[in-house]
Amino acid sequence: MATAIRLRAVRMVAPQGFGYLGQALSSAEQFAVLYGKALRPGIDRLVVSPGHYVIAAFAAAAEMGLIGDAELATYGRDGSPIEAIGTERTPLLDYTCGSLGQGLSAAVGFALADRLHGRTDPHTYALISDGELEEGQVWEAALFAGHHRLGRLVVLLDANNSQVDGPVDTITTLEPIAAKWQAFGWQTRDVDGHDVSAVAAAVESARDSSAPTLITCRTSTVHGLDCLPPDADGHFIKVPPELADAAIAELTDELAKT
Amino acid sequence: MIQDPPYRTILKPYGAALLELAKQRSDIVCLSGDLTRQCEVDLFQDALPERFVHAGMAEANMIGVAAALARTGLIPFVHTFGVFATRRPYDQIVNAVAYPALPVRIIGFMPGISSPGGPSHQAIDDVSLMRAIPNMTVVDVADAVETRQVVRAIVDLPGPVYVRLKRGEIPVLFDDAHELSLTTAQRLTDGGDVTVFASGMMLAPALGAQRVLAAAGIGVGIVNVPVIKPIDAATIREAARGRRAVVTAENHLVTGGLGSAVAEVLAEAGGCPPLSRVGLRDTFAEGAASGPYLFQKYGLSTQHIVDVVWSALHREGSAPVAPRSAQLAAGEYSPV
Repeated sequence: MATAIRLRAVRMVAPQGFGYLGQALSSAEQFAVLYGKALRPGIDRLVVSPGHYVIAAFAAAAEMGLIGDAELATYGRDGSPIEAIGTERTPLLDYTCGSLGQGLSAAVGFALADRLHGRTDPHTYALISDGELEEGQVWEAALFAGHHRLGRLVVLLDANNSQVDGPVDTITTLEPIAAKWQAFGWQTRDVDGHDVSAVAAAVESARDSSAPTLITCRTSTVHGLDCLPPDADGHFIKVPPELADAAIAELTDELAKT
Repeated sequence: MIQDPPYRTILKPYGAALLELAKQRSDIVCLSGDLTRQCEVDLFQDALPERFVHAGMAEANMIGVAAALARTGLIPFVHTFGVFATRRPYDQIVNAVAYPALPVRIIGFMPGISSPGGPSHQAIDDVSLMRAIPNMTVVDVADAVETRQVVRAIVDLPGPVYVRLKRGEIPVLFDDAHELSLTTAQRLTDGGDVTVFASGMMLAPALGAQRVLAAAGIGVGIVNVPVIKPIDAATIREAARGRRAVVTAENHLVTGGLGSAVAEVLAEAGGCPPLSRVGLRDTFAEGAASGPYLFQKYGLSTQHIVDVVWSALHREGSAPVAPRSAQLAAGEYSPV
């Protein structure tokens, strides 16, 4: 499914020749697990904190038949509710926002709301990114969730070491990520974010917990697409027509093998 | 309808009103940013602890959590001082609350220079900041009667609301028959010469100025404008028509708040009398021991309104002097 998500993402950005492909390449396995295994429709909630990642959410949702191909093809086009950066018009997701660092507070709020409403079954899943950890609000939310022991909250951290100005670790040192979150009262997992079974196992192990869980998924914004140039900008990849054709051919072949 | 000064005062009318309504409405939840007693919601915390949430000193997260609670059908009332409620989580209010038009009620205490706590604690720009945001309703009530009524008045509004509330002892200007309106600015006195539009804590000094000026033969119409957004343009146009001057009075910068809102209405209407704005003028205030000192120093006293009206009418001689009792009207003071 992760390969199928990548293929759909390439097709979504190809008409414009650029877009948030890197986010889909780094998070494909995480969305494959979320949509393919974890999310129970109508019960669990999904927050995609960085609105730039909705490309991957839509691609995954399309694989599950939750959104049609025709609608998906309007991604980023004038008048389409499938905007390139998620907004209030964005379908399917419970929360997303282009102003980064806000999603964890929303996820915390949903988990708290379930508790206030007396609902013990639902999970709240959130995808956040490592660059967002530079925003102070994320740590406010982390403290709050730890204090309230929101055990039904499961957060996937797409640690792709990519932000607009370059590799995250050249801009702000975030490590040790796990130790920070543990100190805030979270349980943590650290996995190869491109190993779908490892991501799935981590999510599975997080479901019944007395504390919120952070799963750090180590990823790359160029993973799974060998034809990309080595210097591709992870935040906003340019995909000229020849490259798009090569990428579609590569991923179609890859998909045929599975 | 209007009481005579000196006004009696009531303690914690907001906190009592919120608790009373929350006992009837299980969808109300209360969030506090480490200012629980100061925002009068210790009453809520004591009586309904299961619906009270300590957000701590983390305003951005508090707004984000409140927004998510609202999405699930709850009605969050969020409490902190006006400075922290608006300046710190502005982007969160815009993106997480106002853009999706969620029913989050943001209650900002200590408006303008009612806090002697200095610029960090004086919300002199909160109305301006909130008025700039689409979907937001902005309310600045004048007395304890309106404070009690504002909770019930806003609870079922479909979108977000910002209410600025004075702390501590709140004067009673209106009698019990008064009804706070979120749609109609109320013309409290008739007066053919000048109309004064006042909001919040400036209603009391405006009424004081009206009495002083009436004794000098000047007819002043007072309009209470508790809702600055959406502004009641029709009443403002009507109340300004045919007057020789129009004055606004707000416990806030004159830019972006009531003065600007009235100016926009009158300029779009055309043919309006000249406008004078009473409020802070492109300045921060300062820390001090007492509210009246600051109201005097920064041009928000009864005497300032008298002087502005006198000047706007080009009256000769010196303006009448407001009695000391009017200068120290209870509505002008609030402890930190």
